[in-house]
Amino acid sequence: MQLDFSFQQTWLHKTNPAFKFLLMLILFIGMLFIHNPNFLIIFMVGAWIMYLGYTGHSFFNLLLFASPFLLIFITSSISMILFGEGQTTWFQFGLIHVTEESFYRGLHLGMRSMIFGLLGLLFALTTRPVLLFYSLMQQFKLKPKFAYSFMAAVRILPIMLEEFQSLRHALKVRGVTYQKGVKGFYQKLQQYVIPLLAQSIRRAHRIAVAMEAKKFSGDQQRTYYYKLQIGKYDLYFTLLLISWVSITFYLTNFISIIPIDHVRSTN
Amino acid sequence: MEQDHMISIQNLRVKFPNEKSFLFKDFSLSINPGEKVLLVGPSGSGKSTLLQILSGLIPNAVEVPVKYDSRSTNDSWGYVFQDPDVQFCMPYVDEEIAFVLENLAIPRNEMNHYIEKYLTQVGLHLDDRHTKIQELSGGMKQRLAIASVLALEPELLYLDEPTAMLDPSGTQQVWDTIKNVSEDKTVIIVEHKIEQVLDFVDRVVMIDQHGQLQADGTPDEVFTAHKQLFQQYGIWYPNVWEDYLNKNLNMQNQVTANNSRRLISFDHFIGYRNKQAKIRIDEKNIHSGEWICVTGENGAGKSTLLLSIMQLISTNEQIHYENSLFENDTTIYDQIGFVFQNPELQFVTNKVYDELAYSLKNQHLSNTEMKERIIETLRAYDLLSVKEKHPFQLSTGQKKRLSVATASITNPKLLLLDEPTFGQDAKNTFRIIEILKQLQASGTAIVMVTHDTYIKKYLSTFEWMVENGEIIEKQLDVSSSHQSVKMS
Repeated sequence: MQLDFSFQQTWLHKTNPAFKFLLMLILFIGMLFIHNPNFLIIFMVGAWIMYLGYTGHSFFNLLLFASPFLLIFITSSISMILFGEGQTTWFQFGLIHVTEESFYRGLHLGMRSMIFGLLGLLFALTTRPVLLFYSLMQQFKLKPKFAYSFMAAVRILPIMLEEFQSLRHALKVRGVTYQKGVKGFYQKLQQYVIPLLAQSIRRAHRIAVAMEAKKFSGDQQRTYYYKLQIGKYDLYFTLLLISWVSITFYLTNFISIIPIDHVRSTN
Repeated sequence: MEQDHMISIQNLRVKFPNEKSFLFKDFSLSINPGEKVLLVGPSGSGKSTLLQILSGLIPNAVEVPVKYDSRSTNDSWGYVFQDPDVQFCMPYVDEEIAFVLENLAIPRNEMNHYIEKYLTQVGLHLDDRHTKIQELSGGMKQRLAIASVLALEPELLYLDEPTAMLDPSGTQQVWDTIKNVSEDKTVIIVEHKIEQVLDFVDRVVMIDQHGQLQADGTPDEVFTAHKQLFQQYGIWYPNVWEDYLNKNLNMQNQVTANNSRRLISFDHFIGYRNKQAKIRIDEKNIHSGEWICVTGENGAGKSTLLLSIMQLISTNEQIHYENSLFENDTTIYDQIGFVFQNPELQFVTNKVYDELAYSLKNQHLSNTEMKERIIETLRAYDLLSVKEKHPFQLSTGQKKRLSVATASITNPKLLLLDEPTFGQDAKNTFRIIEILKQLQASGTAIVMVTHDTYIKKYLSTFEWMVENGEIIEKQLDVSSSHQSVKMS
């Protein structure tokens, strides 16, 4: 099972993963306090530029990865648009009640999900999991016990995928058929979860024993093969984020694509 | 004398929770520095457990209640496990060795030097050390496992069936490597495939199911003086195949069915995985009563071949199932049996008995007929005593036999097996082979993926060697192989 895609290293790959993680987290939380949809539109343009320009993956792959976010955008907007509350009614049919307020709120929600998605991908595509855990250990004092367990787990994932495939084949060969509806779903769950769990628990146990056999213990003094520090690229990245947010705020004063500036206010 | 031992243990007692009998009772063993010891015993005799106890993994890493009068251990050891996929915790070659160096707190600037050193010692010459472990062959993975163990600079090596999952060339590579690196080390080995180990070990220790020491001595002594013990317990020993075949002269490779019918024909058949052509068969047929051994290196496409015959992966459909294969619109799964490498994936019920009943659900049998057939099969496969157990509770040998039983109880015209004898002791292997032989005699065609050169040599009618997705067919010369049995 191939989970890798070839890509170019960009300067974003050279930033400190744990620090980048922290910045992204701040950005995520900050985004929750933004209620002006115009801000999100302008910020989203920036997010797309960063995403398409600085992850080092091919344009085609990037669009492919981003395609689920279009779906998330639509699904998260639509429920708010169709069933949200508001005073200026645009359209009403049975349960469906589209108002001006709910429409903008829906759009706002959709854009927020899309920004979360883009930022998440921006992080994921420019960070190797192994380096993230190394830097969490070195910069944020994460216990090696947890860090290496996670790294071992990441290694098992493709093996599990392969096993899932084999299990599917095996069940097909045994002539397993499923009932329709909820019952069938429950049956499927049972048929898949038990053997996969049994294999995974055994495998996890074996890897744990193998790690201890290699003299790994949770709390020993250890050195690191990868030395991660906070460096100039992290400074650039921080400056970039600060100016990105500031410019967005500034532009929000002049550009008003959506004629409201607070989706929560009702008038 | 006592302090001369590398490791020793006196009056070991081990009992797993919920088990009635002791795994070891008053067992003592001492091993001298520099000895190369092979541990043998029937499956379930606790060889791997003993290895883990001697190393201290039990009870330090695995909690099993263990008691002993005295023991002397040595902390300088390395352990190579059976499964190449579950002994690494990092994704890349260099990172895996670095993981060990980190544990030993080796300074960062010396790591590259050491990584290079250990990779050279095991003969892993990679263009780029930052290579994905996933991309290595089984033999290379095990050599990497040895390299990362060497990073511990051990005086003692524990090898727990390090080649059990490898093809013949991988096995050879691994044993050559072990011989190279272990000259000044003490080595304790558990291994089923003993041919490659014989000229390397200087002591063989045999234990039985009750954890009793049965034999201890040089390989020559043990294999000649205690041969009947090996036969009694069904443990592999040199020439076990020749002895077996001489006793069972009806076990010869030939098409046994008289009126052999064509079951499947291939005509420029291609099987795909991830849209890439992974197996090609130009023009070949499978007839009833044939025994085809599919051989080749790990990753050559052997399992893919079986999956494509079963239509479990996409193909160009240039495979023709003859009418004789399908009677009154039964599905392909009713007429072709398939035994997967990992039997646990094939179990769908909670009871051994129900597993077989499940296979018969489309056979339109009356209840009594069905019951009779299941009991008869359970008896033939020596599973009658465990018919009420959950399939996952069985021993590895029993699981394997059950998975063959579920596939063969419908009397399929064709039986596909993916390494059915792999990791089994001699007793189980011969039992499975006898079952398959009977099926073959009743006209079932058998297509099995195997690394076992003896099965290929003595039992198969054809060998399909898979090389880079192409099949090279070899007809096996029955008379010559039969002669060689008699001569030995």
